[in-house]
Amino acid sequence: MSIASGSIAVEARGLVKRYGMTQAVDGVTFQVPRGEIFGFLGANGAGKTTTLRMLCGLIRPTAGTALIDGFDIFKQPLEAKARLGYLDEEPFIHPHLTGREFLNFIADLYRMPRGPERQQRMERLLGLFELADRGELIGAYSHGMKQKIGLASLLIREPSVLLLDEPTNGLDPRSARLVKDLLEELAARGTTVLLSTHILEVAQALCRRITIIDRGRLVATGTVDELRAQTGSAQATLEDLFLRLTAGPESRELIDRLLETQR
Amino acid sequence: MSRSAVAIIIRAEIRAWRNRIARGNAARIVGIALVVLFGGIVFGGSLFGIAFAAGGALPSARDAILAGAFTALSVLMLVVGFPTVIASYFAGRDLMQLILAPVRTSEIFIARSLFAMSANILFGTLFLTFIAGLGAGSGASPLYYLLALVLVVVQVLLISALQVNFMAAVLRWVPARLARDVALAVASVTGAGLYLLWNLTIRQSFTAIRRRPDFSNLVSTLQRLDWLPSAWPGHALSAVINGDAASALGWTALTLVLAAALLLSAGLLYERTLLAGLGLLGGVPSRVRNRGATQVRVARAGSASPGFAIARKDWIVYRRDIRRLSRFLPALIFLFAYAFVLVRPSNGVDVFWSGVFIVAFVSFFMSMLLATTSIPSERRGFQLLRLAPITSWQLIRTKVLFTVVPVLALTIAITVASSLISGNAPGRAAQVAALAVWLGLGCVCIGVAAGAIDPHFESADDRRMVGMVGTLAAMGAELGFGLLSVGAFAILQLAQQLAAGSGGFGFLPATPLMAALVSVVAVLLAAGGAAVVALMLWTANSRLESFEGSITAA
Repeated sequence: MSIASGSIAVEARGLVKRYGMTQAVDGVTFQVPRGEIFGFLGANGAGKTTTLRMLCGLIRPTAGTALIDGFDIFKQPLEAKARLGYLDEEPFIHPHLTGREFLNFIADLYRMPRGPERQQRMERLLGLFELADRGELIGAYSHGMKQKIGLASLLIREPSVLLLDEPTNGLDPRSARLVKDLLEELAARGTTVLLSTHILEVAQALCRRITIIDRGRLVATGTVDELRAQTGSAQATLEDLFLRLTAGPESRELIDRLLETQR
Repeated sequence: MSRSAVAIIIRAEIRAWRNRIARGNAARIVGIALVVLFGGIVFGGSLFGIAFAAGGALPSARDAILAGAFTALSVLMLVVGFPTVIASYFAGRDLMQLILAPVRTSEIFIARSLFAMSANILFGTLFLTFIAGLGAGSGASPLYYLLALVLVVVQVLLISALQVNFMAAVLRWVPARLARDVALAVASVTGAGLYLLWNLTIRQSFTAIRRRPDFSNLVSTLQRLDWLPSAWPGHALSAVINGDAASALGWTALTLVLAAALLLSAGLLYERTLLAGLGLLGGVPSRVRNRGATQVRVARAGSASPGFAIARKDWIVYRRDIRRLSRFLPALIFLFAYAFVLVRPSNGVDVFWSGVFIVAFVSFFMSMLLATTSIPSERRGFQLLRLAPITSWQLIRTKVLFTVVPVLALTIAITVASSLISGNAPGRAAQVAALAVWLGLGCVCIGVAAGAIDPHFESADDRRMVGMVGTLAAMGAELGFGLLSVGAFAILQLAQQLAAGSGGFGFLPATPLMAALVSVVAVLLAAGGAAVVALMLWTANSRLESFEGSITAA
């Protein structure tokens, strides 16, 4: 599928990351057009988080380039970072601040003009995530609440690109639904979302296209129908496709052996 | 009671402790062991020696000394040992697992006691050397030593039980971890205060004017406290030395009854306290701020500055992070105490140069205390700053500006105070103040840079937030910068004298030309100092830009 370069929001060009002899990511290349929700799937340790961290500038790639809205994250970091929002699976937050103080800190850090408009936006987000009446420090928040304040800290500044690593992790069903609706709404308004998740239903429901990474390499990219066509299994669910593309024959043997030991 | 549960828990604790040691840095462990051994011998030996001398020379004050010593031990254990007690009994992560297991609370209480009382046992052991010394100096019978051992053990149990009882009340309102942090802060401040009090008492008792040491003030103070329950074991031991069996038995019985009552009530209250400590009873809010909870202030319109945002955040966090305060406050007490000692005119040092020394000392001390940790203390939040559209240089600059304000304020305040006390001329005081600004700024830059060169963002312990390389870089660079700067300052003084037609040590002609030449040397030295600072900042910037570790939660 070819995409006009001006409409590309996220681009990974041959990203490689090596730690000594270990090849964590091996030549990852993909493009995400503006306004798309793009799923990034892979087993534990497949290289998802390393790729996301290279895309957002936390890890320098051994080779390759990461572009956000056409800006190289390492050569033009300020331009790229101003357009980018990244949520780690364990959000980076300050435990000694209250939720409101934290959002104000982030808004200032990204130079959002102070005033009633910003204040209203902050209150709206706090209300949306049911954090408006929480006066305690973030350190006392539950995991789900930390996830919510992390998301609110991204949404307050309306970045054009969101890189989300397991955003629904730890959220109650209502909040998880809220996040999904929000992401769809944001995408409809032109925000690009790169979503890394283990919850395949979320990926299938939200993402127009999906890429699957296994042992540092992309093994397939496309819509669910395109993945079915690539694997030659017309009726397969995303879970079947994922397992077929990432699991070796040894997995079945392992399961059989485990079941045998429990008999 | 099933003894096996207690044994299993203790065995697991010992195994975990052994694993920590076995997998630690061998050189560091040997170093710590040597320091502990050497410190124990020196400190324990000193205590024994002092007590031995007091026992022989002050027979009439034995009761007051013993009573005072037991009270001091109790205060020390109560305050300094409190964080260990809270951590072991109420705030340990593994406690939740023990609660879920089919183990009685009383068994958890007994099993954790050994580790909970570890700090108190250490104090008790050192204290025994003092008691033994006093007994030896007084020619006490073997019964004295046996009773001393029993009473010290009882005192350790008694104080630990008192701490559990106290926590039973406190944990209704305060979460265990916060209580531990507050206790740590109080312990640090009290420890520093006790150390200084001890030093002042010793100074007061041994002055050069008197021919013999005068303990009358000390003894009269101790006599005022001898009614306290903490003094009862001291009275019992004193009675044994004096051969008063009835009195010894009475005081010992009173101590034992009190200890038994406290232990019983601690055991009974522990179950409820433990659940409250772990937050299982609910209703224990974690630092609710009523003001911030509902009050929504409309922000003033205006542009936002990342630098101010970081500074504002640091200010809020610094005030709330009790663990950092617990490190900062005692250090501040020592700083003022040493500055006071240095400023005293009796040292025989010229007032002006004494001021210069204070300025150098305060700048070095404060920058090591505040500046080195300013970047590592971001912890996981550092990733937020890396994701934000700000450069590493902006971050360093912000941290320097935020740290330099309190350092300069304190340095200049101490400079002004010392000038007023010692009668330094205003002109010369202004020169020292200018040096304070130069040294303060340079040392803060070096400190912030050193923290950025070797940050340990994951460290839960504030004292380990800067690695060995960073600490050595800070000390080396500050020493180099300090020597070059003070050298330049001293040479400028000489140039001033030469220009005025005086000084010159006999071999330098006191002419304006020589003054100008000497000034050039001073400027070169100052430039050398500035180069040290610039090199540190440049290295720090490169290190931050190339940082790519993943920071896990501490």
